[in-house]
Amino acid sequence: MQADPSDLIQRAQQGDQAAFEALYRAHVGRVYALCLRLTADPVRAEELTQDAFVRAWERLASFRGESAFSSWLYRLTVNVVFLGQRASRRRALRVFTTHDPGAFERPGDAPGTAATQLDLERAVAALPPGAREVFVLHDVEGYRHHEIAELTGIAVGTSKAQLFRARRLLREALSK
Amino acid sequence: MMCSDREAQLNEYVDGTLATGARALVETHLAQCAGCRDAVAELRALVAGAAALPKSIEPGRDLWAPITARIVQRATWNLQRAFWRGALAAATLVIGFAIYRLLPSSTVQYRPESTGWIAVRTEYDHATDELTRALATERDRLRPETVALLERNLGVIDAAIRESRDALARDPGNVELRGLFAAAARQKVELLRWATRVATSS
Repeated sequence: MQADPSDLIQRAQQGDQAAFEALYRAHVGRVYALCLRLTADPVRAEELTQDAFVRAWERLASFRGESAFSSWLYRLTVNVVFLGQRASRRRALRVFTTHDPGAFERPGDAPGTAATQLDLERAVAALPPGAREVFVLHDVEGYRHHEIAELTGIAVGTSKAQLFRARRLLREALSK
Repeated sequence: MMCSDREAQLNEYVDGTLATGARALVETHLAQCAGCRDAVAELRALVAGAAALPKSIEPGRDLWAPITARIVQRATWNLQRAFWRGALAAATLVIGFAIYRLLPSSTVQYRPESTGWIAVRTEYDHATDELTRALATERDRLRPETVALLERNLGVIDAAIRESRDALARDPGNVELRGLFAAAARQKVELLRWATRVATSS
């Protein structure tokens, strides 16, 4: 039987690592997908997923249930990714390689759907970072422009411009 | 091919964020422009495709082991840091009392209890009460091991404060005793301030 999420959260807030592990198991796929799509780098995405869960553990006491735990965790993940991105962009310009299509493949996908989705995942991964980040947050994750502006520190107008640019580049890439 | 000056408008149209008037104008244009109609269809397909992407992708390996290792490592580090802060505070007080007890009696000057000293003592009492109340409301946010350590250190400091208060009751004008009381009270205020800060920032 699955444990009640609010009970797990409460126990994890009191320092119960087994409860936190259950929360990790329930959310790691979503957190990793977010990190992977935002960075287009599987190795970096694993590092950021770890960072996000360590940060979540440290900040767990500040979660007061005003929003769903998942929303709180994914927002925290986006913050972790952008903090990490800013730091790594200062260090070096990361070059995305699309040589690892397996990063986006999932066992059990229907063949037709998987092929179309894989094309889209690859095209998204090949976008310039700014356009990719806004596209993922807006069109994949469903954040609004003002939320993206708040999370990433860019202006609402810039968020819109990056989204439109991303969609243009994706339409071009997918029509080839 | 989409009209190049309509990219933003068509995107907003697809997102449903255009005002009614602007939306009607776009629809009038779409009725006449096959290129923009195709672009809108492509944009809609793209947006639908993105929304339909799986929300979850499992990482290539189990990340729980490195996460738990980092959590334990950080907890140990935080505990050590809190321990050494407390130990430092306690050591300062012990050394202070030791010096006081070693001082020759001639250095102990009698002065009547002044208004300034009463004000200082009241101020410390006030700050301590205020921080204790603030900490009581945030206490649940601290980890149990931090609370235990905090209570142990507060116990040491409170004992020092009690001792200096008792001594001051017997010798109210003693300057060294006042200094020791002030040092202990300051330690308590600093420790409470630190704990409140940790609790509210965690």
